[in-house]
Amino acid sequence: MEELKNELKLKIIDVLNLVDLKAEDIVDDAPLFGDLGLGLDSIDALELILLMEKDYGIKLKDASEGKAIFQSINVMADYIMKNRTR
Amino acid sequence: MPRSVLITGAGVISAIGTSKGETFRSLTEERSGVSFLSVLRTEHSDLPCGEVQMSNEEISEALGVGGGIASRAALLGIWAAKEALIQAGLLIDGGMDPSGRRVAFINATTVGGMDITEKHWLEYLEGREGSSRLVPLHDCRGCTMQIADYFGGFSYISTVSTACSSAANAIIMAASLILSGNFDIVVAGGTESLTRYHLNGFNSLMILDSERCRPFDASRAGLNLGEGAGYLVLESSDSAAGRGASVLAELSGWGNACDAFHQTASSDDGEGAFRAMEEALSSAGLTPVDIGYINAHGTGTPNNDASESAALRRVFGDEVPPVSSTKAYTGHTTSASGGIEAVICLLALENQFLPVNLGFSEAFEGGIVPVTGSEVSAPLKHVLCNSFGFGGNDSSLLISAVGDYGPGSAVRGVSGSLRSSLPSFRMGPSLFGRGRTTIDTPDSTPGIATGIYILSASQISAQEPLSEDWIDNPEIPEGKYVRAKDPQWRDHLNPMLSRRMGMLMKRTLVTSLAAMDAAGNRQPDAIITGTGLGCMESTERFLRKMLTEGESLLSPTDFMQSTHNTLSSLIAIQTGNHGYNCTWSHGNMSFESALVDAVVRMRLGQTGTALVGCHDECTPDTFKVLENAGLTDGLNVPCSEGSAALLISSGTGVAPEGALCGIAGLTVLENPTDTQLKETVGLLSAKDGGFDLVMTGENGRNARAYDRVLDMIGVGGTFRYKALFGESMAASALGTYAAAKLIARGQARNVLLVNQFEGKTWSFTLLKTLAR
Repeated sequence: MEELKNELKLKIIDVLNLVDLKAEDIVDDAPLFGDLGLGLDSIDALELILLMEKDYGIKLKDASEGKAIFQSINVMADYIMKNRTR
Repeated sequence: MPRSVLITGAGVISAIGTSKGETFRSLTEERSGVSFLSVLRTEHSDLPCGEVQMSNEEISEALGVGGGIASRAALLGIWAAKEALIQAGLLIDGGMDPSGRRVAFINATTVGGMDITEKHWLEYLEGREGSSRLVPLHDCRGCTMQIADYFGGFSYISTVSTACSSAANAIIMAASLILSGNFDIVVAGGTESLTRYHLNGFNSLMILDSERCRPFDASRAGLNLGEGAGYLVLESSDSAAGRGASVLAELSGWGNACDAFHQTASSDDGEGAFRAMEEALSSAGLTPVDIGYINAHGTGTPNNDASESAALRRVFGDEVPPVSSTKAYTGHTTSASGGIEAVICLLALENQFLPVNLGFSEAFEGGIVPVTGSEVSAPLKHVLCNSFGFGGNDSSLLISAVGDYGPGSAVRGVSGSLRSSLPSFRMGPSLFGRGRTTIDTPDSTPGIATGIYILSASQISAQEPLSEDWIDNPEIPEGKYVRAKDPQWRDHLNPMLSRRMGMLMKRTLVTSLAAMDAAGNRQPDAIITGTGLGCMESTERFLRKMLTEGESLLSPTDFMQSTHNTLSSLIAIQTGNHGYNCTWSHGNMSFESALVDAVVRMRLGQTGTALVGCHDECTPDTFKVLENAGLTDGLNVPCSEGSAALLISSGTGVAPEGALCGIAGLTVLENPTDTQLKETVGLLSAKDGGFDLVMTGENGRNARAYDRVLDMIGVGGTFRYKALFGESMAASALGTYAAAKLIARGQARNVLLVNQFEGKTWSFTLLKTLAR
């Protein structure tokens, strides 16, 4: 799980080009979206949906499903563990 | 000064019909044109679309477009424009007969020739033969020129590209050109064809419905794309009355505003839409109770319909007039939708019926209840037509019924506040003749816009910074391909903010903010941007992936950024600017088109200050494609790129403090004769002490075209601005930047900038010193 979380952080930094962040800067249970978290927005969410499909074989049908899944690294990693097909 | 803008012709083609008659029948029979694709070949056979059920060959044959390959958007555009011109009585023997009137063509498209590009892109990169003919069909101007050349006779031609509100903005520009007295007649609207590129783009944004769309319904789940074209012939009341044209309706009001919220989403309270509708009403001198029908943007996405409902409630309160979206009939025809839906509004007025909102059964919380029955309860007199685009580019047109406009009959215009507030400036008809997009600076009269000034300027290009003595010791970049010298972005942009921005977006934002800051004004009234090709970096990445890896897992960021008006929207979003926002994509005349828009608005008193810029990039792949196509042959300057932004303002006779120079003249000529060119050059030479330097867009390849006018000018000092900045679609904006700074430093008094395209389109911009 810790390995997956770290991998996820690196992937998110890469895909969303969060150039000033290192993996250790992202707190596991901190919100990814909104002003209190990393300040990501709806296009970032679409990129994360793409990441999930590409790297873990998880296909979301509706973009609004992302909201619940991308709450934090913890929630996202948990969802991927349960649903990954690759 | 023309009193009103009338509609004397209309034409339409879409999935529900190839004429107004067919469109009307489909609407009244409640027949949708949305189905699975049969003409466009794509992996997404499960996505329903509104497709015109004719192949390119069938359309070409019916139009008599022989031999040459044309983009599908151009073919659809010719089809609809033809119907409009025939109805207006302007087409004789297949060609346009303007009968002595000044006619302009303002087209709108975003897809342009992408249907051709996506078929051949990989071949272009490899250098196969034939690309020299095809590559120029790619850009938005390429599409516009194919349509314009089919008819001939237009004396000003340009192209708007503001995504899904493009056609509405073309119609707004047409109205300005008529009210300013520059043109008698303007054909305006838009065209778009379905392509794999933007079908996949919208799919990457996850806003396509796999069933037929259901605008304003609680179960709505997205939009269906569509294709088609719609055009209006707009005409001054004097011209229409003079030639006894039948008047279909009046374009009585219009508004454009920027939501300034997000590149692809609308704000919850619909601020941009609210402002656009309010402006349309007030410019027509009407109040909400006057409106009998609203053709909503109503795409069927959860976001749009909620935001538009909120905006409608803000304008109309609890008394929202009958509203419907016709997108379940046609699909969302993006850049063409404003034209197609304006024609639908005309049909509603003419036939006194309401198009039923297909697919509606239950309202969502806060949503409006759309039209479910076609009968009108009171005579329709005024209808509103909404078009909203990416980046929150929101426009609203107001179309009103009129009486008889035959010869001798009184013109019954709506007495609008817009028209009554127009300054009574003189356009100097004796100075500039008919059929030109000419902006003259007339004699000073206190209290009205008499002068137009460049307050500040900023650039990023191969010259960074541009040395102060470039006129005597120019540093000429060498090689065939030179990229812009970018600053350290960190010094200018928050890395978190710019994390997704492509190179061109960063350059655009940095030059725009620098120009605004230099003038101490971050809130200009208008943001008007030119770009010939938009963000090619994103376009190429999306294309390459789609063509090599297939039509899935494509990046929404790349697609969003490849839309031309992303740049103009970015500036508005970052500065919270809700004012007029427009993007012109007309090849190497994109900057001049933006400048014409700004200056015409200033002359009409609609805009006091405007940020005007032009931004284009030449990526390695773009250069390779141009080189392989032979389009760089004969160049004696490198292919390059750049961004330039100017803050301009209108003044009342006294130049604003710190202004760099004045804009004393701006003339654009389409296909001029030698006599017309000579006359223009002569008038500019005689004006305010003439000019002591001529700067041209000569690049070696086009030297002969310039020789034609340089012989006429006969002035000693000429400078080729592309020697500094290289060849790019933004070169003339960079040249204008250089000239303005030169004048401000006192190294030249008056500079004439000359730009041209294929020896056919010419622009002359006269910059004047403010020193005594």
